[in-house]
Amino acid sequence: MKIPRFSRKTLCIPYAVFLLFFVIAPMLVILVYAFTDRNMGFSFGNFVKFFSDPTKLSTIVYSIVIALITTVVCLLIAYPVAYILAHSKMKKKHVILMLFVMPMWINFVLRVNAIRELFNWIGLLGQANYFNTVFGMVYDFLPFMILPLYTTLMKIDPSLYEASYDLGGNAFTAFTRITLPLSVPGIASGVTMVFLPSMTNYVVSDMLGNSMVTIIGKFIYEYFGSDWHMGSMVALVLLIVVFISTFLTGGFKSEENVRGANL
Amino acid sequence: MKKRIFSLLAAALMLLPTLALLGGCGGKQADVILKVYSWAEYIDEGGEGSYLYDVEEVQDAPPILDDFEAWYEETYHESVRVDYATFGTNEDMYNEIVLGNEYDLLCPSDYMIMKLAAEDRIVPYDASFFDEADPNNYYVRNVSPYIKSVFENGTVTVTQNGEQAAHKWSEYAAGYMWGTTGFVYNPEHVERADLEELGWQTFISDKYTNRITAKDNVRDTYFAALGLTYEKELLALDRTSADYNKTLTAIFNRTAEEYTDAVGKTLLDMKKNIYGFETDTGKADMVSGKIWLNYAWSGDAVYALDEAEEKNDVLLEYFVPAAGSNLWFDGWVLTKGVEERGTKKAAQAFVNYMSMPASAMRNSYYIGYTSVVAGENDDMLNYTDYLYGVEDEEDETEENFYDLSWFFGDDNGEPVGIYADEEQRTSRQLFAQFPPEDVISRCAVMNYFDADTSERINELWSHVKAESLDPWTIIVIICAVIFIVALILFLQFRDKLGFVLRKRK
Repeated sequence: MKIPRFSRKTLCIPYAVFLLFFVIAPMLVILVYAFTDRNMGFSFGNFVKFFSDPTKLSTIVYSIVIALITTVVCLLIAYPVAYILAHSKMKKKHVILMLFVMPMWINFVLRVNAIRELFNWIGLLGQANYFNTVFGMVYDFLPFMILPLYTTLMKIDPSLYEASYDLGGNAFTAFTRITLPLSVPGIASGVTMVFLPSMTNYVVSDMLGNSMVTIIGKFIYEYFGSDWHMGSMVALVLLIVVFISTFLTGGFKSEENVRGANL
Repeated sequence: MKKRIFSLLAAALMLLPTLALLGGCGGKQADVILKVYSWAEYIDEGGEGSYLYDVEEVQDAPPILDDFEAWYEETYHESVRVDYATFGTNEDMYNEIVLGNEYDLLCPSDYMIMKLAAEDRIVPYDASFFDEADPNNYYVRNVSPYIKSVFENGTVTVTQNGEQAAHKWSEYAAGYMWGTTGFVYNPEHVERADLEELGWQTFISDKYTNRITAKDNVRDTYFAALGLTYEKELLALDRTSADYNKTLTAIFNRTAEEYTDAVGKTLLDMKKNIYGFETDTGKADMVSGKIWLNYAWSGDAVYALDEAEEKNDVLLEYFVPAAGSNLWFDGWVLTKGVEERGTKKAAQAFVNYMSMPASAMRNSYYIGYTSVVAGENDDMLNYTDYLYGVEDEEDETEENFYDLSWFFGDDNGEPVGIYADEEQRTSRQLFAQFPPEDVISRCAVMNYFDADTSERINELWSHVKAESLDPWTIIVIICAVIFIVALILFLQFRDKLGFVLRKRK
């Protein structure tokens, strides 16, 4: 009996099949639906309708703005936390890191519900829908920002700081010339992981914004209840936005440190 | 290494029950497999909360599906296994059907039944299903005369092989649950008299700003907006006219372009005033006191009333606007191909089993909605009396008599009804489950939207739900985004350029 020979190429087959059926095929289906009408005839109707409707464009703008604010707030909170954790000489810093990550272990819907009750108790629920939505997103996605930042900051060679101080640098220059540039891959990966989901996570906007805040994800969901073609067009536009933002944050670069920073 | 073996063993142990379960499923042989697709939590699932558990004191109350399987085998000497799947919205169900998933029996709402029939996706019941002589035909023998007339009078245009013909709803659908829509309110904050005066205007009344919710689905909220927009016209209708309900129904089905603009404006006004749109947080928010008014289906209203009473000791109430409201129902329909699959008999038997008074009580008790079943004798009436009737015989006065003849059918000219206290008769669970005839006559069924109308109204809905910036703001923001993108690209480019230059040195 001949033993079948496995090469590295053979090992790729399962993933290639997965890629084909669950990544490439659905995208093609979206593409087909986006450019067809109800009778499956080719049409630019949805394209024209999308870009001539201020509401749809506004929703894209709102989603991007909400996602941007979420990302910036996450970054502002996460960076100092990751920095302190990476530089502290505490023995138990893993415990603190775990405390930040732990909410991820609890079901997300449950957590959003808890926040909802909390906001109701404070009196914000139903009063500040946009604030609540952004708060919920920040709360939800913060760990995704902290982790890659922490990993990249941990990797910075301490001798670089020693060199900086030897050459007369102070703490500030050490930060701006060493820490910040070297943590860019972590920032980029954190930004990607927060920015993209917060454009579509409509559970947060529904629960905390009482469905008064409509983001692009909700839009897609609603269209898929009645009109798959328009829904696909919205999804396609979102895909393009995602593509551009990934390109800008350097997600397509194959540098070792970037990949290492991605979870 | 030892550790790893241990964890592997643990994993294997955890997998075992799953495997056994899978084996168990495949092992149960049945002559017929009936695939039922219905709403989530819309059937007696046994256990605590079951009628059997609470009232008949059956400690291990079985799910009603098990009882059906046993009954079917006993009656028809053929074993059946019910594959029961659930959906969350009519649209989800519709998508599944269109994608070609095979189910035998569906339980969609009124408009979706019409849509499925119009598109020739469901088939009529057999003539034998309507034979009252057969003792096993529980549906036709027990369904309320009122529901029967609604189903007889409603028509839908069905396209079959390119030909159009009008058919009665009753040919295609057997009712399951029905009800109205209205407001659940908290009488501590909201006065009934005030509601009666405001009617649909409650949605835009500044007294209830941020204290009232609308439904997060286009049809229900559009219906409410129709009521609000045309309230004066609705109230001015001649109630004694024979065509009253027809005219009312026509107004509640205004979807032509000439009306949608006005309704769209109303929807925006509503959005400014309400606390939020909800699909199922409304019940809990009512119970916890976050909101004072919740636009709800009567079944959910009953649930909220029960919950608030049990958990928070708050007595909520239910109100239906005088101008008219929505009459809705969910019914069983047979999908196309049910004959070829040989499941039609079992499917019809399933509907009949669900229409037995005993089953109707169980389902109704479990989910809080009102069954379409009136029963041949006084079973259902006694059940209603048991739940909502007065306890003292002294209170069985003429004043407390609640006439339900319109639903249960009169007793040789004598009115049929139960004795209930005033709260139950006017605003509590009894009123929500069985509104008086006067309220019912003011209710209208909302038809399905055809493809064009649906597209137009969905656009309208998206404009209501999402914020619209003015075009100039959008242009400015898009320009800014393009500028930022260009800047980042430039910076990256310059970086590379600098790198190249340095290398050359």
